[in-house]
Amino acid sequence: MVSPAIALAFLPLLLTLIIRYRYYFVLFYRAVLVRIWRDCVTGLSREERAYQYVLVHATPGDPDSILEAFDVWCSKVEYISNIGPKKGKILDRLLMEQSPLTVLELGAHCGYSTVRIARALPLGARLYSVEMDQRNAAIAEKIIRLAGFDDDTVELIVNPSDEVIPRLRADYGLERLDFVFMDHWKKSYCPDLQLLEGSGLLGKGSMIVADNVLFPGAPKFLRHIRKSGLYEWKVHRATLEYSKGIRDGMAELVYQGIK
Amino acid sequence: MNDEVSIFQEEREKERRRRRRDGERDKKRRENGRRKASKDETSEVDNEDNEEEDDKEKELRPEDLSPEELEKLKEAVDERKKLIQSLRGKPWPMKKKLVALRESQEFVEKYEGALGKGKGRKLYAYKVMMTKKWMKFQRDLENFKTACIPWEMKIKEIESHFGSSVASYFIFLRWMYGINMILFGLTFGLVMVPEALMGRPYGSIPRKTVPRAEEASAMDFAVLWDCGGYAQYSVLFYGYYNNQRAIGWLKFRMPLSYFLVGVGTVAYSYMVVIRTMARNANESGVGDDNSFNFSWKTFTSWDYLIGNPETADNKFASITTSFKEAILEEQESRKDDNIHLTRFLRVLANFLVLCCLAGSGYLIYFVVRRSQKFALDGLENHTWWERNEVNMVMSLLGMFCPMLFDVISTLENYHPRVALQWQLGRIFALFLGNLYTFIIALMDEINLKREEEMIVKFNITMWETSLYNGTEPENSTAPPISIHPADVPRGPCWETMVGQEFVRLIISDTMTTYITLLIGDFIRAVLVRFLNYCWCWDLEAGFPSYSEFDVSGNVLGLIFNQGMIWMGAFYAPCLPALNVLRLHVSMYLQCWSVMCCNVPQERVFKASGSNNFYMAMLLVILFLSTLPAIYTIVTIPPSFDCGPFSGKKRMFDVIHETLESDFPAWFGKVFSYASNPGLVLPFILLMVLAIYYLQSTSKSYKEANVELKKKLQAQNEENKKKNKRAALQAQMVLEEARKVASQTAGQPNNSTVLQEYESEAFYF
Repeated sequence: MVSPAIALAFLPLLLTLIIRYRYYFVLFYRAVLVRIWRDCVTGLSREERAYQYVLVHATPGDPDSILEAFDVWCSKVEYISNIGPKKGKILDRLLMEQSPLTVLELGAHCGYSTVRIARALPLGARLYSVEMDQRNAAIAEKIIRLAGFDDDTVELIVNPSDEVIPRLRADYGLERLDFVFMDHWKKSYCPDLQLLEGSGLLGKGSMIVADNVLFPGAPKFLRHIRKSGLYEWKVHRATLEYSKGIRDGMAELVYQGIK
Repeated sequence: MNDEVSIFQEEREKERRRRRRDGERDKKRRENGRRKASKDETSEVDNEDNEEEDDKEKELRPEDLSPEELEKLKEAVDERKKLIQSLRGKPWPMKKKLVALRESQEFVEKYEGALGKGKGRKLYAYKVMMTKKWMKFQRDLENFKTACIPWEMKIKEIESHFGSSVASYFIFLRWMYGINMILFGLTFGLVMVPEALMGRPYGSIPRKTVPRAEEASAMDFAVLWDCGGYAQYSVLFYGYYNNQRAIGWLKFRMPLSYFLVGVGTVAYSYMVVIRTMARNANESGVGDDNSFNFSWKTFTSWDYLIGNPETADNKFASITTSFKEAILEEQESRKDDNIHLTRFLRVLANFLVLCCLAGSGYLIYFVVRRSQKFALDGLENHTWWERNEVNMVMSLLGMFCPMLFDVISTLENYHPRVALQWQLGRIFALFLGNLYTFIIALMDEINLKREEEMIVKFNITMWETSLYNGTEPENSTAPPISIHPADVPRGPCWETMVGQEFVRLIISDTMTTYITLLIGDFIRAVLVRFLNYCWCWDLEAGFPSYSEFDVSGNVLGLIFNQGMIWMGAFYAPCLPALNVLRLHVSMYLQCWSVMCCNVPQERVFKASGSNNFYMAMLLVILFLSTLPAIYTIVTIPPSFDCGPFSGKKRMFDVIHETLESDFPAWFGKVFSYASNPGLVLPFILLMVLAIYYLQSTSKSYKEANVELKKKLQAQNEENKKKNKRAALQAQMVLEEARKVASQTAGQPNNSTVLQEYESEAFYF
């Protein structure tokens, strides 16, 4: 029906879209297509494959080598959305400045960020890591123990975050959270933040770091922190983990308390 | 100045008092003579009244003043007037300014009338009053003119939201609208209206009638939209006009008017564009030097026309970004590594762009050829898509190729302003290539039609002889055979065909622009706003997000549309009218869409630098688009049976004809002498030499400017050095003093010595 000439006129548009969004296509290929293919071929889940790799290539007891093994696997072999080396450095710096004693992590996934945070903790600090999924939690537990962190430093809680947060004070005897790291489902950022505010565990100066606020993005979360006026916030701009061209950001919030 | 005035006033006061004393003495003598028994109060009141009257009379009586005092008075009044004029620029608080203004105005009013001498005083006062009234009238006229500027509030609102670069597009659009209004006035008033009112009516001659074969479908909307049917046989196109030399009771010279209006539109456009360019060049001011980059950025980056907080935030962020970029650039320019890779990438990018341009040119050529084939087969056999292929392909390519150029230019790693200029240049080349391919294809079609015309002419003579043979067998002067004009066989009017092609192109271009606007901006904004609640990633910050207003793309589109108007206006007098309508609708539509669907740009550019750039492009387009029209006018003979020049050998023969028949004989002689090549060539040579001379003078002025700037800079640097040296010396002396003071600790006159040293250091 439509002549070939008109169809050919759309060619520049196609080329433009492909070139402009090439990083997104690459990400799609690695995160979705390769994963499906490997799932069908090997029968293990993605996290289990990662664990196998880390077991082979990292030295036990050395968190740095574990993190490096993870980075290599995520960049070269397959893709898992850990926090990545660049944003991880920002996280390390924030932790060093803050030196928190009680840290809450929402969304451990494979345990990469848990190991990263635990590595930068001062003596006597304790990290509570919340993970919803059973299998992921099992793998995360193994990785954390492989890194050499014992129960004093890191405690893994296997429950959805909206059930854990109201019971933190009762079950675990926490009075105040110095640092919160959010890396779970993006649509849960805002409800969990509101739960934390309601629970009274945040004090003046508590820092909350939320990952991936620009891609995939958490618009309700950003809107909430802008409007509520309870936080001094800024967004650290970086690129998405293991990808060069996709812009992403980490939101850093410092709780100011009700004025 | 104030001292002079006050001295003058003091002297006047002294004189007044003297006169009052004399006057009182006289009056007292007079009164004592007249009213001996009057009451004291009335006499006092009378005295006062008399005194005041006397004062007034004495003040305004210029004969009392000596010429020196007259001079001083004049000077004082002049100074006051100067003060009133320069009051705005003085660095005084507002209260002081208002008081000074009132005093000066009173003074001027009081004494200005006194300046005229005696009898001439009344005339002088009258003149003064008239000048004041004239100034007030001028001011009111200026205010009225400013209030009459169309769309001013709309553009100001857009400016406050989006910054001056987006507003500059709308100001350009409005200026274009003004030009098109004048072109419309010319074509409508001098071409379309006379033919419609005073020419032969529809249906009287063959060229003004729809042919019998097309009559059935002449009123269909599809045919009308395609510029056929009744639209074709009307004042809208060239073919309708009759070649009668003078029409109506005014004896209006229709063909001459048609030709002159065609030439006049081009001449007027040239004049307006060059005048605007000259004005912009005058205003371009100091400009960006390559030195003091950061100082310029710090002090001149802010856009004071912004009135919206979000835009202000954006501007703030963009200034920060530009600072970061400038710092990076400084660092990188000192590094200067890997220049080979950069050069290679740039060459590669240009090669890719050339490929794209060549591809688009070939595609258009191919499509136009195909449409000619379709036309030969008869247009009814093909679908709407195939009939409008050419326009669709041109519009689509014009829309998509610039995006591709933008993406390719990221390879090149230029400074953003340089990248923008390259981008504009490439888009320009694309549009130009497309337009000229279109014109070349059109030329082929014209030649085809002319061959067809020869055949039709031959057929007509055969048909006429057959008619005569059929009715009157004798070879006598036959009575005129009445044939209905619709039945007369027609030649293929190539000029109307050209006009129709341009009208179709403009319409399809307009439609494409509006549809792109609606889909690309409005639907996208609606989707982003309403799908964001249920989408996995943030649509506003991430992939689609709201669109930004593409200033350069829109300006180029506007310029090229205008080029097409200039090209086709000779063959379709309706084009300026169409363009006025289009610009009017565009203004409202784009104003609405900008405010409703667009977000302010992330990187905001200064608009002033590119103003003359767009004007220069407009000038080039004007030249390039009038070239084909002039070529066709000069080389191709007009059709034999349609248009105002039918029957002539060349279209410009109408001038010759007018000179012969309408002007006295000596005028024709003068003109033939003036157009003698022997006279014209030296004149052209003289003009070329004048241009060369002016160019070299302006170059030397520019160089002198640069020299002066350098001298100023050197002077500034020397001053800086001197100040630094002085400060260093002062510091050294102070330190010595301190050392001495600390060494001689415990001595009684310690502090005084220190003070002495400090004061010495101060004098340095």
